[in-house]
Amino acid sequence: MTASILDGIVLGLQFGVLAAGLTLVYGLGGVLNLAYGQIAVVSGLVTLLTMEAGLPAVPAALLGLVTGGVLGLVLDMTILQPVYRRSGEARVLLSLLLTLGAAFVIDGYLNWRYPLKGLNLRISGEPLVIFGVRMRMGSVVASIITLVVIGVLYWLFRYTRLGRAVRSVIQDEEGSRLVGIDPQVMMRLILVLSGVLAGVVAITRSMVAPVNVRAGFSLTVLGLIVTVVGGLGSISGAFLAGLVLGIINSVASSYIGTFLSLIILLVAAAVTIVIRPAGLLGVRE
Amino acid sequence: MSGRALAAGTSLVGGAEARTSRSLPLLFGSIAAVGAVLALVPLWVGSSRVLMGVAVLGLAFACYAIGFNLIFGSTGQLFLCVGALAGVGGYGAALLADRVGMPIVAALAVATLGASLVGGLLSWVAVRRSLGVIFAGIVTLIFALSFENLVLGASTITGGDAGIQVSAGSGTFLRQRTAAYYVMLGLVVAFLVVHGLLRRSHVGWAFRALRDDEVAAELAGVDVARYRVYAALVGSAMLGLAGGMYALIAGRVSPTTYGFAQVDVVVIVMLAFGGIGTLFGPVLGAVVFTFLDELLIDLGQLRLLAYGALVIVLFLWIRRGVIPTLAGLVSRRPGTRPGPPPGGEEPG
Repeated sequence: MTASILDGIVLGLQFGVLAAGLTLVYGLGGVLNLAYGQIAVVSGLVTLLTMEAGLPAVPAALLGLVTGGVLGLVLDMTILQPVYRRSGEARVLLSLLLTLGAAFVIDGYLNWRYPLKGLNLRISGEPLVIFGVRMRMGSVVASIITLVVIGVLYWLFRYTRLGRAVRSVIQDEEGSRLVGIDPQVMMRLILVLSGVLAGVVAITRSMVAPVNVRAGFSLTVLGLIVTVVGGLGSISGAFLAGLVLGIINSVASSYIGTFLSLIILLVAAAVTIVIRPAGLLGVRE
Repeated sequence: MSGRALAAGTSLVGGAEARTSRSLPLLFGSIAAVGAVLALVPLWVGSSRVLMGVAVLGLAFACYAIGFNLIFGSTGQLFLCVGALAGVGGYGAALLADRVGMPIVAALAVATLGASLVGGLLSWVAVRRSLGVIFAGIVTLIFALSFENLVLGASTITGGDAGIQVSAGSGTFLRQRTAAYYVMLGLVVAFLVVHGLLRRSHVGWAFRALRDDEVAAELAGVDVARYRVYAALVGSAMLGLAGGMYALIAGRVSPTTYGFAQVDVVVIVMLAFGGIGTLFGPVLGAVVFTFLDELLIDLGQLRLLAYGALVIVLFLWIRRGVIPTLAGLVSRRPGTRPGPPPGGEEPG
């Protein structure tokens, strides 16, 4: 049981980062990015390919993160432009459809060109004993990286001008425009950040288990579940929900069965929507 | 606010058809004409086993597109689990008939009911509050992936990756290719009649009202959430019945028969091409893309890329669908006005 819970925490931290990237984009721009998981997969693939070309792991991973950011930028500058010209539900709907199209384009290309590739970063080192459980070094390193990323995000949104600007756009787009913040610029920055976060998830996940090229939609769906439970647009909600669902997923996988764990998470999301549509920490509309 | 943004575009959908659907003989007449044209297909390709298989699959997709149209086109709920709901019908009918030993008709009915209830439940979860459009997309996408995981994981029952043979239906007319084609065509015609009659009834008025301006509809006394769930129940029943019938005809089901990448993206493209919210758009889209798909079959995985690109192109530039766009070019009447409409027009 302790082992499953610790595994769940490792997973939950990654869930949190995964959902943060989705929820920020939604909170800021009312855009839901269904190509998010595919961005993560491409980041992982670039890391893998550059490592196979002889680059050491750390610069290769950094290159993967940069790729994620660039993909976020490309989405922002291309198919999301017509999305921004709409408002309300029409905007959400068009963003769902267009990013779904983009996700299939990326999936189709990856399945055609690299059907069997999968990133699996092996971290060497003796297992660490935590609460009497031997944790693999990969899980420990992955969790440390994830915690650092969460810390940086907290600092960014709490203490920097940029973070305050983003939060003011989330609260009131018109108002922020009046005090001289350009929501378009903020949106672009956040999409880049979101792409980088997707890359972080792919790379840290691959230290625990292989991330193959078909994982795109499962990553998106996991991110969506955590986002819904945490509250659409809430970053701290994403981290809290990530931890809770990570532990649920891990315990359910080891006691009930892996293929049922997603259904349990679906039920968790559905119950959240029915009982508390704003999510754990979301603001009521 | 958002409702008003939707209003501009939705009135564009099916201008000409909205008029024809008011006359009952014209409605039945046009459905009969479409059915009659499709009924000629076996005369043309009936000698080829492979092509008849393609034609039956094409009709199954026409059924899926009609069901999806009823949910998405009528009430704006983006159901991203078309394949999964068809799979509930398909696996449900196959397993109930083969494993439980139910008669075929009963198995099909129960599986259809199951798909209908699942779709209705997903819609109920999503639309009870505001944010219904987003939640519908999210919840159905999660369900689609959960269903795939379940089918792959519960391999002792579902056969996992390899799928299962369906012995129910073997030895009956369902396995004779021409008869099977006409059974599937019967479903298409029946679904068109149901959708056509729904559009004429008070339910159709409610659909149009909530699509054009949700807030105004709510104020006028339309229970928006309830009509969305109704649409999901009926549309999902169509998906389940078509999926179940296809399983009995094809004689085997596997995860790819109902896969997200194999069904959903294709159905979205078919509907967007034919015209979202129109009565015959789904059928036209299914016919056109069944042809195109045969031409693209050598592309393998690149087919997926092509369909993804088509989704983007169709929703960016030909948002009204090809039928309404062509109709707009031919007759410039109100409701088919040329040029980009103002504001946040959106499909459905």
